[in-house]
Amino acid sequence: MGMLVLTRRVGERVHIGEDVTVRVLAIRGAAVSLGFAAPASVAVVREEIVDAVRTENRRAALARPEELVGVDAWFGEGSEG
Amino acid sequence: MIASTAVCEAEAAGLQPVPAKTAAAAVAVPETIQVVSSRLGTYEVPRDKVLTLERGLVGLPAARRFVVVDHRPGSPFRWLLCLDDPELAFVVADPVEVVPGYAPPLAEAASALGCVPEEVAVMVLVTIPRDPREVSVNLLAPVAIDLSRRSGCQLVLEGSRLDPAHRLARPQD
Repeated sequence: MGMLVLTRRVGERVHIGEDVTVRVLAIRGAAVSLGFAAPASVAVVREEIVDAVRTENRRAALARPEELVGVDAWFGEGSEG
Repeated sequence: MIASTAVCEAEAAGLQPVPAKTAAAAVAVPETIQVVSSRLGTYEVPRDKVLTLERGLVGLPAARRFVVVDHRPGSPFRWLLCLDDPELAFVVADPVEVVPGYAPPLAEAASALGCVPEEVAVMVLVTIPRDPREVSVNLLAPVAIDLSRRSGCQLVLEGSRLDPAHRLARPQD
């Protein structure tokens, strides 16, 4: 899938599929303010947030049972449920 | 335990046996499936315990079917095992149990999942670094489950400024 390049002015919109629209709200210097309208079932997320979550998922996937034993012991230390 | 009255009721209700006078008299037995984890071994779990994340996890779109199994009775930490990949497993926790003052994003989750907030359960993925005292949970992207449909998603709380690596404090500290 290639990249579609469109040019928009402030106030103009783009439609993505049936359910998503993106509108240019403002341009201030190097930053563009974008407004997204999408159903709640569609995730709209800045790329750096996606990257952060993907990275953390990878780190979390490394957990080993013996490590959890240590964490469980540490967490429960001194507190009697 | 995942904090939700719905799941507590479901677990307590158990199974309804078929009345003995029906022609094919039998006690209803839950169909179980085998879950193989390269890390934890083999589990036999009721089929209705399988959770389906339609879009998988962020960065792992093919990891769609999961079960939660206990680590140790009484521990807030459990394992999320992936049926689609025996190598894949996560430690999870109910954030209400391990993060004081945590308010689960029930409204956002219900919206994303297309269910009512009462049907939502939230769990967080746990990261265990080299030093176990630095254990953290991903509050930015919890796993939200629709308990009635056993479906869910990893809900990225864009704009929340929550921490994907929120360090846990021991309850007594």
